[in-house]
Amino acid sequence: MPDIYHFFQMLVNGLNVGSTYALIAIGYTMVYGIIGMINFAHGEVYMIGSYIAFIAIAGLTMMGLDSVPLLMTAAFIASIVVTSAYGYSIERVAYRPLRGSNRLIPLISAIGMSLFLQNLVLMSQDSKDKSIPNLIPGGFSFGPGGAQEVIVSYMQIVVFVVTVLAMWGLTLFISRSRMGRACRACAEDMKMANLLGINTNNVIALTFVIGAALAAVAAVLISMQYGVINPNAGFMVGLKAFTAAVLGGIGSIPGAMLGGLVLGVAEAFGGDIFGDQYKDVVAFGLLVLVLLFRPSGILGRPEVEKV
Amino acid sequence: MAKKQITRLFAAMVLAGVASHSFAADTIKIGIAGPKTGPVTQYGDMQFMGAKQAIKDINEKGGVDGKKLEAVEYDDACDPKQAVAVANKVVNDGVKFVVGHLCSSSTQPASDIYEDEGIIMITPAATSPEITSRGYKLIFRTIGLDSAQGPAAGNYIAKFVKPKVVAVLHDKQQYGEGIATAVKQTLEKDGVKVAVFEGINAGDKDFASIIGKLKQANVDFVYYGGYHPELGLILRQAKEKGLNAKFMGPEGVGNDSISQIAQGASEGLLVTLPKSFDTDPANKAIADAIKADKQDPSGPFVFPAYSAVQLIAKGIEAAKSEDPTKVAEAIHAGTFKTPTGDLSYDAKGDLKDFKFVVYEWHFGQPKTEVSPQ
Repeated sequence: MPDIYHFFQMLVNGLNVGSTYALIAIGYTMVYGIIGMINFAHGEVYMIGSYIAFIAIAGLTMMGLDSVPLLMTAAFIASIVVTSAYGYSIERVAYRPLRGSNRLIPLISAIGMSLFLQNLVLMSQDSKDKSIPNLIPGGFSFGPGGAQEVIVSYMQIVVFVVTVLAMWGLTLFISRSRMGRACRACAEDMKMANLLGINTNNVIALTFVIGAALAAVAAVLISMQYGVINPNAGFMVGLKAFTAAVLGGIGSIPGAMLGGLVLGVAEAFGGDIFGDQYKDVVAFGLLVLVLLFRPSGILGRPEVEKV
Repeated sequence: MAKKQITRLFAAMVLAGVASHSFAADTIKIGIAGPKTGPVTQYGDMQFMGAKQAIKDINEKGGVDGKKLEAVEYDDACDPKQAVAVANKVVNDGVKFVVGHLCSSSTQPASDIYEDEGIIMITPAATSPEITSRGYKLIFRTIGLDSAQGPAAGNYIAKFVKPKVVAVLHDKQQYGEGIATAVKQTLEKDGVKVAVFEGINAGDKDFASIIGKLKQANVDFVYYGGYHPELGLILRQAKEKGLNAKFMGPEGVGNDSISQIAQGASEGLLVTLPKSFDTDPANKAIADAIKADKQDPSGPFVFPAYSAVQLIAKGIEAAKSEDPTKVAEAIHAGTFKTPTGDLSYDAKGDLKDFKFVVYEWHFGQPKTEVSPQ
C-alpha cells in the first residue's frame, strides 16, 4: 500500500503548514474580536519577526556562539520582544488616534502602516533574499523507503510542539487570568466593560501585543524551516492566515486554530490531487464553500444585530 | 599654469553646454535605462556597470568620429508604467541611442515609444521573443531569446544527461512557462517522455506536495522554468524529503542567491547561461578595469551591455552619420566585433547566432562549464 504512506506524508505536511497559519491567524481574529477591525499590517509584523530572528542568529553566530538551544532561544526571545513592541506601536500610531471614527479610516491607516513597514525593511535590509540556516537538520523516516516513506523532519516536530504550547498558553491566559477575563469582557461589550472599570485601551493594546508575539513565534518557526526570508513575504502569509481566521470564524480563537489546520491540510491534499498550481484555488475555493453554508465560519458565532 | 587654466575654461564651457541643453553636439548622448531600485536592482547594476565601462573605454580611445560619448542614466525600476515615463523623458532629453531596458515587461512598452520617435534601443537583457516580433526597425538586442534557451537545454538533457523519468516545472509566468514549454517540446521531439509537467505558485514557500508527487513518480531529473527564490526552496526541500533527482534551470536561477537559499542542495544544479564573457582571455582588460573599480564583472548582463554601447559606436562609424535610421540600417547590414563575439542581425533585430552554455553549480566553489565545446 504505497498510497497510505503518501497520504500520511501529505497529512504531516498539511498540519505543519496549517499550524503556522493558525499562529498568525490568531492575531487577526483577536483584534477583530475586540475592535471589529482587520489589522492589515499583521502580515508585515510577521515579516519583521523573521528579520529580527535572522539578525539575532546572525549576530550570535558572528560572536562565535553556535550552541543550537541557545540560538533558538535567543531567536525566539529577541523576535517576540521586538515584534511585540512593533505590535504595540502599530496600535498606538495607526489605531488609537482614530478610535471612534468611521471604520474605514483605521483600515486605510493600517494599509499605510503595512506599506511603511515593508519599505522600511526593504531600505534597511535591501531587497535580496536572506538565508537562515536550518539549526536542526534531519528527521525521522517511516516505511520501507523510496516512494513508500513518510519523512517527518525534526523541524516539523519543533513546529508542532511549539505551536501546541503557544496555543495552550494562550487558551490558559484567556480563560484563567484577570487580563484574559478583561479581554473576553471587551469582546462581548466594549462600552459595558469600560463602565465596569476595565481600561479598554490597555486591553486593545494587549491584543495587538499578543497577536504580534504569536506572529513572531510563527516567523521564527517558518524562517528556520524554509530557510529564507525577504521583505515581501508578509503579504501572502498574511492573506493565508486571514483566510484561515475567516474560515474558522473570525473573532473566535479556537476557530482560528481550527481554520489554520483545515486550510493547511486542504492545501496539501488539493495540491496533490489537482496539481500544485491549483493549491491556492483549492484553499480559497474551500473558503467560499464554507462561507456559503456557514457565513460566520466553522466556529463563528452568528452575527447578532445590535439594537 | 596657463595650460591648466585653459583646461579649466574648456571644462567649464563643456559643462555650460551640457547644462543649457545646447545642441552643439560635442557629445553623443547614450541613454542607459534599467532598474536602479526595486527587486531586480542587482541585475540593473550589471547593465549600468557594463555600459558605463564601455563608454569610458571608447572615450579614452578618442570617442566616436572625434566626439565623446556621454552617459545619461534612467531608472525604470523594472516597472512597465515607469518605463513608459522613462522613454518619454529620453525623447524630451534629445537622446537618440538607448542601452536598455532590462526586464522584458518594461522593455516592450518602452520600445513602442523609441520606434515611433526614431530612437535606437539595444537591450542587453530582455529575452522575451515578443519584443522583436513586431516588425520594428530600431530595436535590437545583444542577448539570446527565451525560445533559443529552451531547445538548448532540452537537447543537452536528451543527449548528455539521458534521464529515465523527467519532470518539467514552471512558475506560470511569461518567462518561466515559455522556457519550460520549449524544453518539454524539445525533449518530446528527441524521444524523451515528460512524466510530470506542472506549474507552481511564484512566491510560495512550501513545495512539499509537488515534491511528494515527484517522489511518487520516481523522477530522476527536474527542469524548472522560473527564478531563483522558488527553485532554491525546491532544491532545499527536495533534499530534506529525500528526492534524488538532478535539477536544471534557465539563466533566471543562475546567480549567487541560489546557493544562499539552497545551501548545500545547490551542488550539481545545471544552468543554461550565456557564455561567461568575463573569463574569456580576449576580455581580460575590460574585466580587470571593472574589478579595479571594486565591481564584479561576472554578472550575465555586464558584457552584453558593454557590447550594446560598442554596437552603437560602431554603427555610427559605419553609417558615417548620427541619424538613428541610418545607424540602424548599418547595424542590420554589417557584422561587428564586440567582446560578446561577432554580432550580426536578422531583419527582426535579433542576433543571428547566440550560444547558451550549460554550467554546473557547486556549493562554495565557482561554477564549471559542462557543455561540450
